[in-house]
Amino acid sequence: MERAEFPFLGYGAGLRRPHYAEVAGGRPRMDWFEIVSENFMVAGGPALKTLERVRANYPVVMHGVSLSIGSTDPLDRDYLRQLAELARRIEPAWISDHLCWTGAAGRNLHDLMPMPFTEETVAYTAGRLRTAQDILGRRIAIENVSSYLTYTASSMAEWEFVAAVADAADCAILLDINNIYVNAFNHRFDPYAYVDAIPRERVVQFHLAGHSDYGTYLLDSHDHPICDGVWELFDYAVGRFGEASTLIEWDDRIPPFATLAAAADESRSRARAVLSRRVRSRAEGATR
Amino acid sequence: MTPTDPPPLSLRDLQLQLMRMIVAPTGVAEAIAEEPALAANGLGAIVRGDDRLSARERVEIYANAYFYRLLDVLKEDYPLTFTALGSDRFHNLITSYLLEFPPTEPSIFFAGRHLADFLRTYPAAVERPWLPELAGFERAMLEAFHAADATPLDASALRSTPPAEWPGWSMRLAPAVRLLMGDWAVHETAGPNPAVILPDPPRSTPAAIAIWRRDGDVLFRGLEPPEAAGLARAAGAQGARFEEICAAVAAKIANPGDAVESINRMLARWLADGLLIELDR
Repeated sequence: MERAEFPFLGYGAGLRRPHYAEVAGGRPRMDWFEIVSENFMVAGGPALKTLERVRANYPVVMHGVSLSIGSTDPLDRDYLRQLAELARRIEPAWISDHLCWTGAAGRNLHDLMPMPFTEETVAYTAGRLRTAQDILGRRIAIENVSSYLTYTASSMAEWEFVAAVADAADCAILLDINNIYVNAFNHRFDPYAYVDAIPRERVVQFHLAGHSDYGTYLLDSHDHPICDGVWELFDYAVGRFGEASTLIEWDDRIPPFATLAAAADESRSRARAVLSRRVRSRAEGATR
Repeated sequence: MTPTDPPPLSLRDLQLQLMRMIVAPTGVAEAIAEEPALAANGLGAIVRGDDRLSARERVEIYANAYFYRLLDVLKEDYPLTFTALGSDRFHNLITSYLLEFPPTEPSIFFAGRHLADFLRTYPAAVERPWLPELAGFERAMLEAFHAADATPLDASALRSTPPAEWPGWSMRLAPAVRLLMGDWAVHETAGPNPAVILPDPPRSTPAAIAIWRRDGDVLFRGLEPPEAAGLARAAGAQGARFEEICAAVAAKIANPGDAVESINRMLARWLADGLLIELDR
């Protein structure tokens, strides 16, 4: 996979409606923004104009929620056409979506449903990913999703599934650190083992977000600050994958923009600290 | 697999089965009972449970998320309808609505597009016959917000066109303009900013409403019959020649002597509001 297709963008935040005016009008300090593609797949109007103004000043990544790459419905070519049209319009750094299904039989659950982790679904999903990439004319990044159930049919671990699909589809991985943390609690696995199993060369982006603790499960709610456990897992991921474009997601109970900027700054500081420790320990190793 | 194990479900069957449980209005437990394969083998045949959460509780997390996500979106899209019905009745409305019109589009924006039509036959609308028009008004506001951009006709275009060419000048409504004709003044239940909701039910009166977008804001106002007739003539992709629009307006003006002045006044306002675009001359 050619890393130049996914240049390092720095530390960014999701572009959400309460911040449109501030971001489009004020050019606040932020390395880059990620949009939810479907929010801008409209004929026209203020949202698209805002996006064009933001794009004029920042790199933008298009992050979709409805590719439904694991669905057993035919690939939605009209959706892909609209996605390609939006990409032509705003020239994103890249396009990403989720390793999941969002509906079947023509219905959309508007949720990111997990896949059964089997050899068959690896082959099936990877085949559809390759087709989608061909239609879009570019490699895309695929994100590991949070989940609250596992299927009896699954015969491999989630991290094996993510790695196998990315390899078979020759696509990039958008590694959501919070989703790993949430799933590790919900399904009782070691989140650090998950990170260790993901192929280094495919990870081009990190997501960071907050979640809600319901006692018996963690919900990927994107409505809280990032917890210490997720930050620590992020540090570990940076240690393994190096510096990758990092994004703060906050979708509900959205705080002032300054809070997002502070979280992006913290991700930058932590990543730099991890990398500088790594350089120091290498240097010390060389002089021993 | 032992000889007594059921054969593994295909991915298709798995997705359809899970989806039926998630969207079931009576809850996951009843949906499981209605699935012959699951009733025989238990939900554990497809989803794993553990000591923390049973398989059913795990599916219920998705079922609740499905309904409440859509409920929240529709509350936001239909604030007047929500206020008119109250929380419990709106909840029941959306439960019934999603059964008949489940989301099918990639964007959640489309989830509520059939609500006004659905309300025409919905029992709670019998006591509130204005409800379908109110929901239609709210939908039209949303559609106007996301409609295609276009360069509106303005006064300078008018000035640069010789008056002799005006009668044959073809024009139509801008893509963001919506014209609503109904039996209730539903727009009067919303303040100038639709976030301000007035408590009284709408007046029963023939009503024409224009909705349009200017500088990113969606605006609306009631129309008198002559203005409504003129704008209705310009609706549709074909639009109309200016003389046809004038004739439609004039036909609704009681005193023909007032027609020219009325048309001039209306045209000035349409241009100021950006309601019209020019068709190829």
